[in-house]
Amino acid sequence: MKLRLSKAAVVTSVGALLAAGVPLVGLASSGASAAGKPTYTIGVEGPFSGSDANYGDYIYGGVELAINAANASGKYHFTLKPEKFDDQGSSSLSPAAAQKATGTKNLIAVVGPAFSGASEAAAPYYLKAHVAEVSASATAVALASGSSSNFMRTIADDSVQGKADADYLVKVKSVSNLLVISDASFYGDGLAKVVAADATALGAKVTTETIPNVDTGGGGTTTEYAPAATAIATSDPGAIFYGGYSPDFGLLLSALSGAGYTASAHVIMSGDGSNSPSLITSTSPASAANGVFLSEGAAGKVNFLTGKLASSYFKLTKIKASVAEYAAQAYDATNAIIAALVKTKTPATVTTALRKEIVTNLHKVNFKGITGTIAFAGDGDLRNDTGTSAISEVESGTITFLVNEG
Amino acid sequence: MGFEHFWLSGFDQIHTAFWTYLAVGLQNGAVYAMIAVGYTLVYGVLGLINFAHGEVFMCGGFAGVFLTRGILGARVATGWGSVGMVLAGIIVGGLISALVATGVQQVAYKPLRKRHAPKLAFLISAIGASYFLQTLAGKEFGYGVNIFPSAVFEPGQVMFTMFGTSIHTIAVVSIVAAIIMLVVADRIVRATRLGRGIRAVSQDAETASLMGVNIDRTITITFILGGALAGAAGFLYSLQSGIVQNAGTEIGIYAFTAAVLGGIGNLRGAALGGLFIGLFGSFSVPFAFEGNVQWTEIYTFLILVLVLIVRPTGILGQKSGRTA
Amino acid sequence: MISIIMAVVAVMTGTPGSSSAPPTTGVHGSLLERVSFFGLFATWRWVLFFAFAVIIWLVSSFVRPRSRAIRRGMDAALAVPRQLTSKKYTRAGLMVLALIIVIVLPKFVHESFWMYLIVEQIGVWILLALGLNVVVGFAGLLDLGFAAFYAIGAYTTAWLTGSLPAPALFHHPIPTLWVIPIGILAAMIFGVLLGTPTLRLRGDYLAIVTLGFALIIDDFVETQSGVTGGGVGSSAIPHPAVNLGVLHYSWGISPTPYYYLCLVFIIVFIAVFTSLEHSRIGRAWVAIREDEVAAESVGINPLKYKVMAFAVGAASGGFGGVMSAGLVGIINPSLFTYQVSVNVLVLVIFGGMGSIWGVALGAIVIQTATSYLDNYQPWGYQINDLYMYIGALLIIMMIFRPAGLLPSRRRAREFAAAEGGEEIHTDEVLTGDQP
Repeated sequence: MKLRLSKAAVVTSVGALLAAGVPLVGLASSGASAAGKPTYTIGVEGPFSGSDANYGDYIYGGVELAINAANASGKYHFTLKPEKFDDQGSSSLSPAAAQKATGTKNLIAVVGPAFSGASEAAAPYYLKAHVAEVSASATAVALASGSSSNFMRTIADDSVQGKADADYLVKVKSVSNLLVISDASFYGDGLAKVVAADATALGAKVTTETIPNVDTGGGGTTTEYAPAATAIATSDPGAIFYGGYSPDFGLLLSALSGAGYTASAHVIMSGDGSNSPSLITSTSPASAANGVFLSEGAAGKVNFLTGKLASSYFKLTKIKASVAEYAAQAYDATNAIIAALVKTKTPATVTTALRKEIVTNLHKVNFKGITGTIAFAGDGDLRNDTGTSAISEVESGTITFLVNEG
Repeated sequence: MGFEHFWLSGFDQIHTAFWTYLAVGLQNGAVYAMIAVGYTLVYGVLGLINFAHGEVFMCGGFAGVFLTRGILGARVATGWGSVGMVLAGIIVGGLISALVATGVQQVAYKPLRKRHAPKLAFLISAIGASYFLQTLAGKEFGYGVNIFPSAVFEPGQVMFTMFGTSIHTIAVVSIVAAIIMLVVADRIVRATRLGRGIRAVSQDAETASLMGVNIDRTITITFILGGALAGAAGFLYSLQSGIVQNAGTEIGIYAFTAAVLGGIGNLRGAALGGLFIGLFGSFSVPFAFEGNVQWTEIYTFLILVLVLIVRPTGILGQKSGRTA
Repeated sequence: MISIIMAVVAVMTGTPGSSSAPPTTGVHGSLLERVSFFGLFATWRWVLFFAFAVIIWLVSSFVRPRSRAIRRGMDAALAVPRQLTSKKYTRAGLMVLALIIVIVLPKFVHESFWMYLIVEQIGVWILLALGLNVVVGFAGLLDLGFAAFYAIGAYTTAWLTGSLPAPALFHHPIPTLWVIPIGILAAMIFGVLLGTPTLRLRGDYLAIVTLGFALIIDDFVETQSGVTGGGVGSSAIPHPAVNLGVLHYSWGISPTPYYYLCLVFIIVFIAVFTSLEHSRIGRAWVAIREDEVAAESVGINPLKYKVMAFAVGAASGGFGGVMSAGLVGIINPSLFTYQVSVNVLVLVIFGGMGSIWGVALGAIVIQTATSYLDNYQPWGYQINDLYMYIGALLIIMMIFRPAGLLPSRRRAREFAAAEGGEEIHTDEVLTGDQP
């Protein structure tokens, strides 16, 4: 009895030591760099897994591109490196990702969060840690006036995009009977509300509907789309605007085309959450996406990386720059952070004071980025929002730029 | 006034598009019915809510999708090619699902049976198997990435027009295939020796084994049968909605609701329950408050809860001792 | 034996090589491409899979003859805790030791992120597990919708502090700390309301109806955006604060104060539940669990005690909700899905259903493993793999130790007898239902 007890005890205690040792190793692992140039981390919070992982990759590519250029230029007395923080685009996973980011020792600022709902959830944590968030893609209007003065974005918010959408639908496409569908997410709902309000103000008859998205927490199911599409096809509005993301929009388009409501015979439009090639792969048959209009959070032509930057981007990420949404905004966001960093004393270790300084400096930056002049107003929005939004159309499976609206 | 208007406009919408709603409802219902049969058969022989059954459905769906992609690629099947592809998809989907179902049985349930584990242990093991399969699928095929099969029919192909509404080929194929398979399953369970074995084990496993029924083999057959149906359903489902790694969770709950509604343990009940859930889900869309389609889900579960409180043995009722 | 192979190999498939981007549809690929279904399968991973399968099979055939000795050794190791706690003094001593460790723990945790995880991921879940333990473990009621009580606690907090679109009660938002008793009460009332019509059902039917209700509530909350904030939820729940004349303390964002608040309440709940367990009510629960008809015949009203179990369990769940809302400041319906309910059930069964310490230990083990794996990703682990390992762990646990980590004494006897083939008094819920 005694012998067995001690054997078992030995086994359990060795096991416990091993189990305890591993997290300690993990905790100790985030070491700082050696002497010489200090190394700072710029975090990228966004979806890197799940159905929207492509957006995270686009943004991360833009950040990495800018950082590599900065490191290679030799101009700076510091080295930068990017780091991913995966929140899967979800507002429930975002606080943990934000906590992890702010807990990273040499992190100075974050490009992101990518999704609006995630930004809202993470804001208090970044605020408390005095870490600047410069988002390349979170467009919900409420974010700028929201709970964090550390929040900035290098993209126009949904009031611009929504207004441009409403303008395009009512003024250019002469839509008089519009159905606005929201996917019940923070972003989709906000955008849908703006479009509905603006379209009503322009004189169109607007009805609203909610089809919750299928993503975790959205509560929707794919079998919902078919009956909902039948109902829509029956009431036959002249045009539909969908506020939401590409995986769900694709399912809706598939269901609509099955119900006989096609994009060729009607006007179907959505916002920047659907504006990516993943929309085409999410739609079956893929031809059901042809003729769909998509808007963007910025004016066209400047919206994507071009020329040398585009080829460097492709070499780095193997993603075509012409489809990498928000990569240009991410590039500019990174350069804004660098511009703010340069004005500090660039100490060897990152302190709260440094992070605070970067926030202050960010509010003062003013330079010409590839998407336009980067300067932030007090609430974090771009100061000279051109107020234009690029409208594209899906033609034979590719998204082609049409016109700048607004 | 507003309330009346709500009801009137709802019925009006149904009146205008009745056949479309019916077709969509039957199509969804066919899928639910086939999956529900699997739940109900397993509950009959093991007394277990097979949480992993939704994942079995999902695996069959993926198998069907890969098959079509492998054979067709970017091409479109027509005529006899379509027929062949559908049959191939159903068979392969069913096979793979049956394999997965048997695997789950062998790994997660059989050892528990041998050790006379309590029922809750089976439940937790089922949950474990479900988690495992879903995550493995997500690892391989991506999380939340919805994949469609290749074009087994002309996109949007309409088979015929009835009363002014176009009925799509996908709908007809799903419904017909489901009916055939459900009838075959029903015949197997009622008229064959295998089926008698299943019913015997459902009623009283000990006596059945005394009577010479091989319990292990019967249980395996039950899983194969349920799995095959679910796999075929997976393929048919993917034709319309594509397949994604967590499809099993959402569809599984609906199918399970259907099985309970029809009287768990009762095969015909499960089939009818599935049909009912599909139709109900379709026809309740015009009655969604404020245009929020989520209300159809609420209505469906309300029906489930009400039926359970009022008549727990389900609409068709359990036959004595939970036979099929 | 095949099951051993498959179970172990399954763990092995967690080796690096995460899934690729959405698949292509090419049919004009090379032979290798077609074999791997056009890049859909990471072919080399399946080669590894089979290689490991062969290795494991070789290992297991070596181990098999010695398996009985291994089993005995394992049982001895797992029996150590029971042996240690059999004496009253050792038990008291261990509890004091545990208390000391737990009180000084924050001093040793340097990363505030870990502290946050300890409260949010472990502390809250311990509360949930304790609550469900009362329902499932004490009273033997299979509840698949426990997350609803969690939701009630959180949403009540949000509502009363004025953080929901619907205005607070009497238009007078109250500080979060004072919501704690109200949140607990609300959850208990809800437990009674939910339990009264449904607890007449037995076994699996109860499970299904609780699941149905949980789904309805989840969906309903999402649709009522005007009242509950819909799918977006609420994001500005104020942190608890005490402003009583001399005492001024605000909980803020730092997790450590929450840790202590949570700790106090966990201790309170453990004390209350333990005393309930040994009281007349607890004995009534045992009687109902073992044989409801017999219990009724000696004058115990099953419905009354079952509803009581629901209410008591709901109290703990509701407090977990208040805690969670106060700490994170954000709630939305994705925190109350049926997945959450299932997870809590897993914690309870894994830890040892019916045993308060077992359940707490189970919650600690699984949640710590979850948090660690998800956030510190050791080699070979990709985020999202978590449930694969949990799934495998559950299956293995149920095969080799269905009683859970630290089963209550009664259960341990039942399981041992059942395994030996004896027919001992087992619950209706466990072996079968006769509606």
